[in-house]
Amino acid sequence: MSLMLKNTINGLDKILFDEIPKGSVILVTGAEGTLKSGLVFSMMANYVAANDEHGLYVTLEQSVESHLRNMNSLGIKKEDGLHIFDYRDMRMEWMDSELDLIKTTEEVIDSYKEKHDNLTLFALDSLNALYSISEKDIMRNKVYNFFSNLRDEGLTSFLIMESAQSRISGQFSQFHQTEHYLADGTIDLGIIEGKGGVKRYIQILKMRAAKHAMEKHQLTIGDNGINILGPIY
Amino acid sequence: MKTSVENAMDACESQEDSRKKFVDRIIKTNREVFIMSSLLDNQMCGYDIIKEIFTRCDVFLSQGAVYPVLYTLEEDGLLRAEYRKGDMRTKRYSLTPKGREIAEKDVEIFAKALKQVTLLLKR
Repeated sequence: MSLMLKNTINGLDKILFDEIPKGSVILVTGAEGTLKSGLVFSMMANYVAANDEHGLYVTLEQSVESHLRNMNSLGIKKEDGLHIFDYRDMRMEWMDSELDLIKTTEEVIDSYKEKHDNLTLFALDSLNALYSISEKDIMRNKVYNFFSNLRDEGLTSFLIMESAQSRISGQFSQFHQTEHYLADGTIDLGIIEGKGGVKRYIQILKMRAAKHAMEKHQLTIGDNGINILGPIY
Repeated sequence: MKTSVENAMDACESQEDSRKKFVDRIIKTNREVFIMSSLLDNQMCGYDIIKEIFTRCDVFLSQGAVYPVLYTLEEDGLLRAEYRKGDMRTKRYSLTPKGREIAEKDVEIFAKALKQVTLLLKR
């Protein structure tokens, strides 16, 4: 039975009313500990498990083993159709200056596509790591082409981006960043402190060609993985 | 105006460029065979494999084209990866018995296929 991305997380369809169009580039933003990697990995794992498709999760920050340990601790299992690629070996053996990480990532995608022609999902964890290893200005210019290439490949892509503080004085401080204009969607994750204690939330800020709620909804992690509950206000 | 010697040299260079392009394309498309054949005699890391193929064939296989192949072959049980004692930085690959069997067979089939293509072209 096929599964839509909006049905891959329990409760996601409460905030995402239409399916994410294929080939969309989605930014997943938030501070550390807001479950960015967990949310994306969980969506991809559930999707490839239910559909005869493949996904590629590229991690720049962690090794495959440490990423899987983290996912395991969240109750998220890796599925056969979900491939993880880390840059650990490459970065140990080559100088960072010898690596054009965007070009290399595109080649990595091509390699997996050669092997699995039904590779439809892609994730990069994270854009920040990519920028920290590369020259920022050059990288920013390359990002535009990178986004276009991902769309041309027909990959629905999740690009994880850590933001220290998502709101300043009610304004989205990060909204001036190029990535937000270029992306087809932005899913923001955060932590909110209130009378009821500290809660994690998810908010869809933008999703081109798909209706969605604007409110922040509570995000929890339980024995059955990630759940999205009601509005947090 | 160029002399006849210069023109002949240009023709040679352009022929050499075309040959290199063909070799490049053949090796890149069949990199799995070349990567596995590099491991027939030695245990190597990704860096060594790229260097070895460059030295042997004068073709640079990029990191993005080599490392995914290594990971997939390892996942498929054709390669074994291990760290050297005291060196946790470099993962070195070797062929498993199943990988060796496939590598030897693939090298042989590949050589036969190339020979066949050459014969077909010369007809």
